[in-house]
Amino acid sequence: MVPVAHPAPEPWAAGCPGSRLAKGRWGGLGTFPVNYSSRDMPKQYRFLLNKDLLWVQFSGFHTDLHHHKDNSLISISDEPDTLYRKLSVLVKGHDKTVLDSYEYFAVLAAKELGISIEKIHEPPRKIERFTLLKSIHIFKKHRVQYEMRTHYRCLELKHLTGSTADVYLEYIQRNLPEGVAMEIKKTKLEKLPEHIQKPIWDKLPSVEETATGALETGH
Amino acid sequence: MAAASGCLFCARPMLPRLCAGLAAGPRSLLRVSAYSTALVVGSAGPSPGQVAASRRSRTSQIARNRRLPGAPRTEKMAVDQYWGNVYPTAAAFNPSSVPLPIRMGYPVKRGVPPPKEGNLELIKIPNFLHLTPPAIKKHCTALKDFCTEWPTVLDSDEKCEQHFPIEIETVDYVSAGPSVRNPKARVVTLRVKLSKLNLDDHAKKKLIKLVGERYCKDTDILTITTDRCPLRRQNYDYGVYLLTVLYHESWKTEMWENEKTEADMEEYIWDNSPSQKNALDTLVRIRAAEKTTEVTKEELLASEIVENYKTTVVALKNEGETENNILQYKESVTKLLNLQALQ
Repeated sequence: MVPVAHPAPEPWAAGCPGSRLAKGRWGGLGTFPVNYSSRDMPKQYRFLLNKDLLWVQFSGFHTDLHHHKDNSLISISDEPDTLYRKLSVLVKGHDKTVLDSYEYFAVLAAKELGISIEKIHEPPRKIERFTLLKSIHIFKKHRVQYEMRTHYRCLELKHLTGSTADVYLEYIQRNLPEGVAMEIKKTKLEKLPEHIQKPIWDKLPSVEETATGALETGH
Repeated sequence: MAAASGCLFCARPMLPRLCAGLAAGPRSLLRVSAYSTALVVGSAGPSPGQVAASRRSRTSQIARNRRLPGAPRTEKMAVDQYWGNVYPTAAAFNPSSVPLPIRMGYPVKRGVPPPKEGNLELIKIPNFLHLTPPAIKKHCTALKDFCTEWPTVLDSDEKCEQHFPIEIETVDYVSAGPSVRNPKARVVTLRVKLSKLNLDDHAKKKLIKLVGERYCKDTDILTITTDRCPLRRQNYDYGVYLLTVLYHESWKTEMWENEKTEADMEEYIWDNSPSQKNALDTLVRIRAAEKTTEVTKEELLASEIVENYKTTVVALKNEGETENNILQYKESVTKLLNLQALQ
């Protein structure tokens, strides 16, 4: 069971580029395109129309199905939800105070959405320095030095379902400030595929027999 | 300088007359040119003094007709207003919309940092005025409907491993730049514990040999990292294919595997080893020298002393030399050779 979401166009969502999110949408079993059906949307938000379909996947243990049915924007599909054991969000920026504020925002959002936070830590900053000649011609002894400081902040979340992860990541990424980059490491849980349960060599002789039988009858 | 920069960036220019003059300049020049061309056909035209007077009166008219800027929005704001209406989305800092006495920048000598009016530093830095805690809570209550709960059965790592043995790790990159794509995003890492796979002894050893460095003995985890395909989906499929092939190939026994030498062995096996032969020979000779009843090698093998010796030797060889191992070896040797008298 999977809720298919047609998210209401919140004012904060307007004017943000949607193409940034295309990379974050890799669900193993269900894809995540976005559908804003025109009749659901008020006029001023028509510019947000994309022609894709947003699938939000369902873990199967959900209890308030009735509440979901009341909300006309959510519809439920039958694909099983993906499970993420760990989600690691690393933000990089040039200004530490901006990362502090962003961390406060991300932590509060995670708490409000009921996501358990495993660890928040600050990897040490990296400074890249290089020396260039100050003048365009000659004057080798006079140089100028530049440096680029990159500060990091890592937020590790655990035990997320695919739908929750996608909702949280989309919210986080839409509100990513200018000049800040993000890396997201997802650790997905999967069952053993069926073809690895048992070795196939027990079944092979029968295949060979039928093949040889076919050859004999053919010729 | 501050005034000039304020003029460039503020909504309300600091020197209205100057700006009005600048704004009116090109238009007045055009009008003057039009006026002069029109009059060339006719009579001599007005004197330069009259032209200057008309221009001055026009600028003063424009200055008088110009709408004066009203009071900033901060003065009209109620104390209990909903801040989400002032900054609903991410927007640049507007000093007349933010009712806070903020100062930012490097202070002049014996002075304070510059105020918020016309302050470029405040406009440059990203602000989170649209993400106040009440706004975040409001957004999250709306988003909560689209979230699903984690199954309560899988509350610990062990249970996750038991039901879902394979872990797929992928990385997404978000950054601003000429392109949205990042070539590192196609890398897929597959991790599985070999104890969860259906492998017998020979299959497990063969798999470990096939895989080489990708297997960690301490954690019993096989890690397959694929990035040879251009798309992430393809890399994932290739990783699963590799795992399947490894699994099935390790169950096969090839002809040349019979030529496995002692150097290829992963662990020490005591049966048919020089240690066993030497120990049994020694015991047989001891028994022959003492002229007790002849004991066959099979009976010796089955006896407890030899078993004890076997376990200690195997422990020493496989696990390395620890204090405990060496003490146990010493005890087993003393029992084997009946050396209890020599303490």
